[in-house]
Amino acid sequence: MANNDHAFAGVDIGSLAAKSIVVSNGSIVGQSLIRTSINTEESGLIALHKAIDSAKLSQKDLEFIVATGYGRVSAPYANKTITEITCHGRGAYYLHPNTRTIIDMGGQDCKAIRLDKDGTVIDFVMNDKCAAGTGRFLEVMANVFKVKLEDLGPLALSAKEIVPMSSTCTVFAESETISLLARGEKPENIIKGLHYAISNRVAGMLSRIGIENDVFFSGGVAKNVGMKAALEEVLEAKIVAPNFDPQLVGALGAAILAQDYSLKEA
Amino acid sequence: MSLKTLKKIEDAVKERPGELSEARIKGAKVVGWFNYNIPEEIIYALGLIPIRLGTGGNDKLVEVGSRYISTKNCVFTREVVGLFAKNNDPYIKNSDVVAVDATCIQIYRVAELIQYYFKVNTVILGVPRNFSSPEGKSYFESELQRFVNDLEDFSGKKLEETKLSQAIKLYDEIRFAIRTLYEYQAADNPPIKWREVFNIVHAGFYLDRKKYLSLLKELLTEIEENHGYPVISEKGNARILLSGSIIPPGDTKLIDIIEQLGGRIVGDDLWSGLNSFLNVDIKEPTVKGIADAYIDRVPHAALPYLDLETDRRLKNLKQLIHDFKAQGVIYHTLRYCDAFSFKAIETKNVLKREKIPLLEIHTEYAGSDIEAIRTRVEAFIEMLKLGKVQELIA
Repeated sequence: MANNDHAFAGVDIGSLAAKSIVVSNGSIVGQSLIRTSINTEESGLIALHKAIDSAKLSQKDLEFIVATGYGRVSAPYANKTITEITCHGRGAYYLHPNTRTIIDMGGQDCKAIRLDKDGTVIDFVMNDKCAAGTGRFLEVMANVFKVKLEDLGPLALSAKEIVPMSSTCTVFAESETISLLARGEKPENIIKGLHYAISNRVAGMLSRIGIENDVFFSGGVAKNVGMKAALEEVLEAKIVAPNFDPQLVGALGAAILAQDYSLKEA
Repeated sequence: MSLKTLKKIEDAVKERPGELSEARIKGAKVVGWFNYNIPEEIIYALGLIPIRLGTGGNDKLVEVGSRYISTKNCVFTREVVGLFAKNNDPYIKNSDVVAVDATCIQIYRVAELIQYYFKVNTVILGVPRNFSSPEGKSYFESELQRFVNDLEDFSGKKLEETKLSQAIKLYDEIRFAIRTLYEYQAADNPPIKWREVFNIVHAGFYLDRKKYLSLLKELLTEIEENHGYPVISEKGNARILLSGSIIPPGDTKLIDIIEQLGGRIVGDDLWSGLNSFLNVDIKEPTVKGIADAYIDRVPHAALPYLDLETDRRLKNLKQLIHDFKAQGVIYHTLRYCDAFSFKAIETKNVLKREKIPLLEIHTEYAGSDIEAIRTRVEAFIEMLKLGKVQELIA
């Protein structure tokens, strides 16, 4: 990297994972993703340094750092903190400028965000009171079926039938699942039912802010192909899939905003 | 530079419980009241001392109250029942009778419970559900007449027209002063903050009303003389109007969060805030005059929307947004406060047509959701401000 280039970083400290992105001259030059430890501040810093290393830079090359995610309050190294709502909006708009609706399903919360044609957030709704529609929910369910988290989506897609689930509460869904298994239902059919139950819940959230194409799916849960398919069917909308890790969209938005703010303050 | 009269008002509130106890020893009687439609003018004209009761923000009292009232009742009513159970609140202890109007039926339920469990002497004022029909108006007038009769029996005095006329004049002046303070706090470089005005409104729940008016006048004079000393600099603040469920004295959670995150509250349409002081036009010093004026005020959310297009609450909200130059509304709903929670989506949709964003914050008095509220409020403030940032970048 030439000396006169400008570099900016975004750090997204989520409940389950810490992510960081470094951008320079408008393109992504470094990234990282680690599991969040009990020490939030340290997790953010490790993620930041990993991203800096992958960009072959050092921290002094960074002109501006934006921290986001629930751990943003423990990021003394950041020049500014911005909420994950604004960051996901910015990241999704950068990757796909026709984005008007974002569904972000993270480790412990789930949100729906609306953008206008300029990428500005015009409305949002958030669920962080219960684990329904989050990565944590899916982790618990993967454990019930004794399968890997990443296998849940493909299993849901392989189902021939759907077993309706009445619960989206993690605790109740777990006991309902165990009863259904005892009754002899096929695991993949129940898994599909779980994905539909969550999608219906997300549809309820979206109805409060309205849905407009294109719909962008971000957050760790967006890696689950079964969830994407269930959401598309329930919402009757096509979800765009940019060629980018959906779990890094918040960190990307933070890095782009770091660049925006740095230019503004210059 | 802080206004000196603010300190005076604060001190007066501190002295008030002692004053009340002394007055009662000398034979004065205190009418504590809840809800929205109790006309204080009548209480005052009968020589009784009106005190508006109720506090919020104390989760321990909510827990105590829940032993008597259903946990499906709103947290404010649960805290209020907790106040009666504990009997430590100086104003509740000093109330000789508790007057409750049946506007919000959850608070009406409080009246039933405190009478049953704590043997509190209560007086009830019925309120019609349809507040614009002639039948609704005549019902309210007859209810108010019965309410006056009850208070006459209680005080041993008859309601006199001259006394009522004086009381109306006093309250009209108080209402005018509060409205003027709200105009000041919303100015571009305001001499007083919204929060200070809101606290002054709450001071008026307790203070002797004549003394209160003289303090308000003193404050207004001080503000006029002090002009040129803004308390807030107008640097890219997000101007927010606060709406929704009651925010009584003691409940500062949401207000603290908004202010910490750089939001500037520029007004409210709360029934524990500005709303009680709006649109009271008493045409004659009689029970009918009072009844007609109170029913024509901005209605409480516990009463139904009869027509979305002409509803006075929505009209009032839009007017206040315009007058106070608010960019967005934070709509506060308390857990199980159905009156306001149920209306959140309609209110949001009505404002959307005016391009005014609304954020609903659903909360209770426990502190467990502080971070969740912070993220929502912060994102909302970013949303209001971002337009400006984009303009600067472009």
